[in-house]
Amino acid sequence: MAKVLMKGNEAIGEAAIRAGCKNYFAYPITPQSEVAEYLAKRMPEVDGVFLQGESEVAVGYMIFGASACGERVMTTSSSPGVSLMGEAISYISAAQCPAVFVNIMRGGPGLGGILPSQGDYFQATKGGGHGDYHLLVLAPDGVQEAVEMTMKAFGLAEKYRGPVMILGDGLIGQMMEPVEFPDDLMTEPSNKDDWATSGMDTRKSDKRNLVRSLFLDPKELNDNNLALKAKYEQMKKEEVLYEGYNTDTDYKVLIVSYGTMSRVCKTSIDMMKQDGIEVGLLRPKSLFPFPEDAVFKASTKESCQSVISIEMSMGQMVEDVERCVKGQRKVDFYGECGGDIPTPEKIIEIIKGLL
Amino acid sequence: MDIDIKGIVVICGNYGSGKTETAVNLAAARKKDGIDVKIADLDLVNPYFRTREARVYLEDIGIEVVLPDKKYMHADLPILTPAVAGIIQQPSELTILDAGGDDAGVTVLAALEDHLSKKEVHMLQVINLFRPFTENVQGCIKIKEEIESSSKMKITGLVSNANLIDETIPEHIYKGYNLLKDISCETGLKIEFITAVSHLIPQLEMDRFTCPILEINRRLNPPWKRV
Repeated sequence: MAKVLMKGNEAIGEAAIRAGCKNYFAYPITPQSEVAEYLAKRMPEVDGVFLQGESEVAVGYMIFGASACGERVMTTSSSPGVSLMGEAISYISAAQCPAVFVNIMRGGPGLGGILPSQGDYFQATKGGGHGDYHLLVLAPDGVQEAVEMTMKAFGLAEKYRGPVMILGDGLIGQMMEPVEFPDDLMTEPSNKDDWATSGMDTRKSDKRNLVRSLFLDPKELNDNNLALKAKYEQMKKEEVLYEGYNTDTDYKVLIVSYGTMSRVCKTSIDMMKQDGIEVGLLRPKSLFPFPEDAVFKASTKESCQSVISIEMSMGQMVEDVERCVKGQRKVDFYGECGGDIPTPEKIIEIIKGLL
Repeated sequence: MDIDIKGIVVICGNYGSGKTETAVNLAAARKKDGIDVKIADLDLVNPYFRTREARVYLEDIGIEVVLPDKKYMHADLPILTPAVAGIIQQPSELTILDAGGDDAGVTVLAALEDHLSKKEVHMLQVINLFRPFTENVQGCIKIKEEIESSSKMKITGLVSNANLIDETIPEHIYKGYNLLKDISCETGLKIEFITAVSHLIPQLEMDRFTCPILEINRRLNPPWKRV
């Protein structure tokens, strides 16, 4: 298919359709409302359903219901809305149902603001709701990657039978970039007979499936949590994604940054290169599982003197960076989270302060 | 061929067609021609990338920019400042009203109907054929009809803003112009002008066009872009 010019939000909507998702439930909130606007037009064209819930709490359980029936399903929201879905996300994780959640982050806490933020890193990567669980979290840095990750998310959700989150910030949702979609549409979940309550008459096996998150027997609950833990361990082996930028040089400083913030850092790195200053960037593309080994290796390169995590938050991912650097280098942090994105010039000033 | 548009000009079109970039560059080009220009941001539906972000540049070159009060700059609210009615009643030589996208974005024009109905208004539909829903004649006419129904105004002219941002090549601009010719045939609407980013203009074969070209210098860039 030829390239088109799309907003991140619209492109995420189209990506869901291309991934064979025919169920989209959401509640509008800036800065992600264009996903709903777009899918309200597009879903009927593919015999799909867009239904606006009465709140994000309702939407969370609409997702759970559709997922339990073996349907590909997605919702999109922004920070406060995702908080409201937290309970359902925890239930879906416990019940081991696949679903795709997109958080186009805005400023917080509370109602915060409508401008971009990365303040939901903890919420996304450490669970967000109650109980022992994780989401598989992917963080795109542009519109094309948002498409690829959204399409991939459906397959991952089914592989691991759990919620996958696309974590973008407001700018990823709002900006426009040329984007390309694959021509082939994905088909429905291939493993759904193993778990979906889709009705015996359509099932190939006689296995009865039960979807639940209540396990009153302590052994059963422990076993369910062990099953979840085993999945997270498998994700850590198989799903780590990251990008190195200017990391083949003898950089003195390593930046760790993701999403929109990493785009600004790349410009800073290019500008500093012209002045003969080499700085490397490690960009986690999967936030859970976090690229632990890659961060350790890049930060302990002989030329590297210090590491800095740069985020549109007050310091969240930096805790994972510190954990991975294991005390081998000094780890600094710079962040802003009011909604104004730090400029390349500001990043250069911060980096020069470390040299 | 030069753009000689004057009076009240409403810039509308589907969501993300490039209305604001067109409005801002049209304002700057006409100001350069020596005429008096005012611009009002009527985009009540879009949270980011609005005229208000080009405010400093426009004011620096002497264009009056009508925006909601500064303290509401980042409010997620549809604020229509009364000053807009003022500049319609007392327009300058060129008064540009930058509307929001789709039919939702022009609903505000219906609220200004009393003021606008007494004036001659150019209502320009901006089209970028690389955007969803406007890749063909039927799609563009559907958007046109939705905008007209919601704004209670008639579109009077067409603008092609064919682009893929940094990946635009001359062929894209020709394609956009050809689509406009087809829409023009179907609707009888005039092709007012087409746009092209400044560095592409020397590469264009001008004899392909029978309308003026508006030079675009991008004012609404993501924060990592440095010229």
